[in-house]
Amino acid sequence: MVVEVRMPKLGLTMTKGVVKKWLKNEGDKVSKGEPLLVIETEKITANVEAPTSGYLLKIVAPVGTTVPVGGVVAFIGELGEAVPEVITQPQPTRPVERVVPEAPTPPPPPTRVRATPRARMIAEKEGIDLSLIKGSGPGGLIVEEDVIKYLEEVRKKTKTGLRVREVIPLTSLRMTIAERMTESLRIMAQVTICREEVVDNVVKIREELLPLIEKEVGIRLTYTPILIKLVAEVLKEFPIINSTLEDNMIKVIDEINIGFAVAVDHGLVVPVVKEADKKSLKEVVIICNELTRKAREGRLSIEDVSGGTFTITNLGMYGIDAFTPIINPPQIAILGVGRFVQKPVVQEGRVNIATVCTFSLTFDHRVVDGHTAAQFLDKLVSLIKDESRLRAVLSVK
Amino acid sequence: MGEVREITFVEALNEALMQEMERDPNVIVMGEDVGVYGGIFGVTKGLLQKFGPDRVIDTPISEAGFIGAAVGAAAAGLRPVVELMFVDFFGVCMDQIYNQAAKMRYMFGGKIKIPVTIRTTIGGGLSAAAQHSQVLYSIFAHVPGLKVVVPSTPYDAKGLLITAIRDDNPKIFFEHKLLYGVRGPVPKEPYTIPFGVADVKMEGSDVTVVAVAYMVHEALKAANELKKEGISVEVIDPRTLVPFDKEAVIKSVKKTGRLVVVDEDYDRCGFASWVAAIVADECFGYLDAPIKRVTTPTVPIPFSPVLEKEILPNAEKIIKAVKEVVRKA
Repeated sequence: MVVEVRMPKLGLTMTKGVVKKWLKNEGDKVSKGEPLLVIETEKITANVEAPTSGYLLKIVAPVGTTVPVGGVVAFIGELGEAVPEVITQPQPTRPVERVVPEAPTPPPPPTRVRATPRARMIAEKEGIDLSLIKGSGPGGLIVEEDVIKYLEEVRKKTKTGLRVREVIPLTSLRMTIAERMTESLRIMAQVTICREEVVDNVVKIREELLPLIEKEVGIRLTYTPILIKLVAEVLKEFPIINSTLEDNMIKVIDEINIGFAVAVDHGLVVPVVKEADKKSLKEVVIICNELTRKAREGRLSIEDVSGGTFTITNLGMYGIDAFTPIINPPQIAILGVGRFVQKPVVQEGRVNIATVCTFSLTFDHRVVDGHTAAQFLDKLVSLIKDESRLRAVLSVK
Repeated sequence: MGEVREITFVEALNEALMQEMERDPNVIVMGEDVGVYGGIFGVTKGLLQKFGPDRVIDTPISEAGFIGAAVGAAAAGLRPVVELMFVDFFGVCMDQIYNQAAKMRYMFGGKIKIPVTIRTTIGGGLSAAAQHSQVLYSIFAHVPGLKVVVPSTPYDAKGLLITAIRDDNPKIFFEHKLLYGVRGPVPKEPYTIPFGVADVKMEGSDVTVVAVAYMVHEALKAANELKKEGISVEVIDPRTLVPFDKEAVIKSVKKTGRLVVVDEDYDRCGFASWVAAIVADECFGYLDAPIKRVTTPTVPIPFSPVLEKEILPNAEKIIKAVKEVVRKA
């Protein structure tokens, strides 16, 4: 009796496997349980054992063939037995696992919620999903009263039955933040690494530049434009971090556009300094100042917040040392800046008082690995330590 | 506003005519039996005695002739108030009304005014059969150039008739036969009520009921009944179909979310459908129920009192329609 050898399912997500190597040749005698071939899935490499004893009559899937789970790779039987001509394709009992490319099934047509215009108007105003409401009108039509009743009910208690003191509707800004942050954590493998370092040089240079910048452009120099300049400089050496992951392609981006998080009423916006690496500190100061003002006044344009390739977020002013920032998609990394704080540090064998800051870098582990991210942080720290290079990058000339 | 008395609808109209004829010698009255007989419903009673046959003119049964004469007199500078005894008779004189009176000012580039007021009677409920029971104001509202006035109370009747007489354009003034005996407070002094301003006859919050003429009273009757069941009805009387106070109706529907239009005219292509269309078009988003119309089916009005009652709108039918849209237990 001829027995089919099929592509096994080795994990929940496995849909297909590739034949890497045949351990037996056609005509070889095999015993049940003996390794027959090697397959490779997206995750592992594994041996496939002979399901029965007999002779390997025919290899259907030669090395390199991709076979869907359940697909026939070979036949085992007694010498002289006829091998079926037509190869049975994956067992129909598992239609979900078929990998034959097909036109995507169109999503089922959305069930139309039947509601009066007035019910719809109120639902829209209150941000309610009408499909959650049971209509009391003719044929289940949702009327105003149903919406109001629902509103009263859902606002009085949480789903777990706890009493509600106040309901704060999600603003569209908050909704956008919620969506983007959830999406970010859902699609990326985010890792945060932290490094504390002495930043005395940065403090010193900022103090020197403060009166100069103030005099020239009338703006008080903050650490934000300085950090933007420094990060942009380091990114030049790490193009892989200045990238995005699209359709299984890491696309390294040709411009370095640094976003910086600005807290606004009940939310957060991230205006972007375009091509920060090519701009002087003075230009970055002016742009940051303008973008911050626009952010606070709620006047940022789409243009102002688009095109970022890397983000800096600073919680130092709230006394935070280290944190785990969430990447702003489609970017693949974000730098969190902690507070500048004086601490005893060991320098050249002596304990000195120095200003230190902790940098928290979150990166997308799908695109880069820990050592690249660590090198990036190391380069940033090296730049900060190298006073002459620092002065060159932050030159106001 | 000086002295206010309870008088009938007929007396209010009579008083308006008296006062306007006193005020303006250009106001004249014409029609069948308006002089010696004082009008078949008594609206022109005493006018002949007071103002003489030059200003109160009894005409032969010749609507095309005397309505045409009134339109001509208006063009020549008088302010005729001419009576078409029953609106049902308009067929014989319609050219004078809709093609001559209604269009002359437009066709002469505004160089002429036609300040004619055509008074006529409307409505069923008196078992007066198919040719004396119709409403038909929708037909007049349908054509351009005519103002359409439909009072429901003695107070509105007097104020609107005075406004009509003083207005420089052709008006059709519809008097429902069942309203003539209705009593209500009316100031003795002359006063005007602007066209195109609806009157909220009763305030409410659950449903808007729009009605004119006698149907305002049926709507109020229904509203009072429904109030006992906890349904709050807002009754709006537009008072003039042309010009129409759509803002008042829309404002009310925005509040209540529901609309019932009551209209004694034939259902087909009628006033009720027009109001429903405006509301559906302009405040669709505020509707919480389909718009309902309570109208007279498009059939000849039966002579049989039983059958007539069957087809005419009334409080009972209004209550049923309101309950359909309010759906309160």
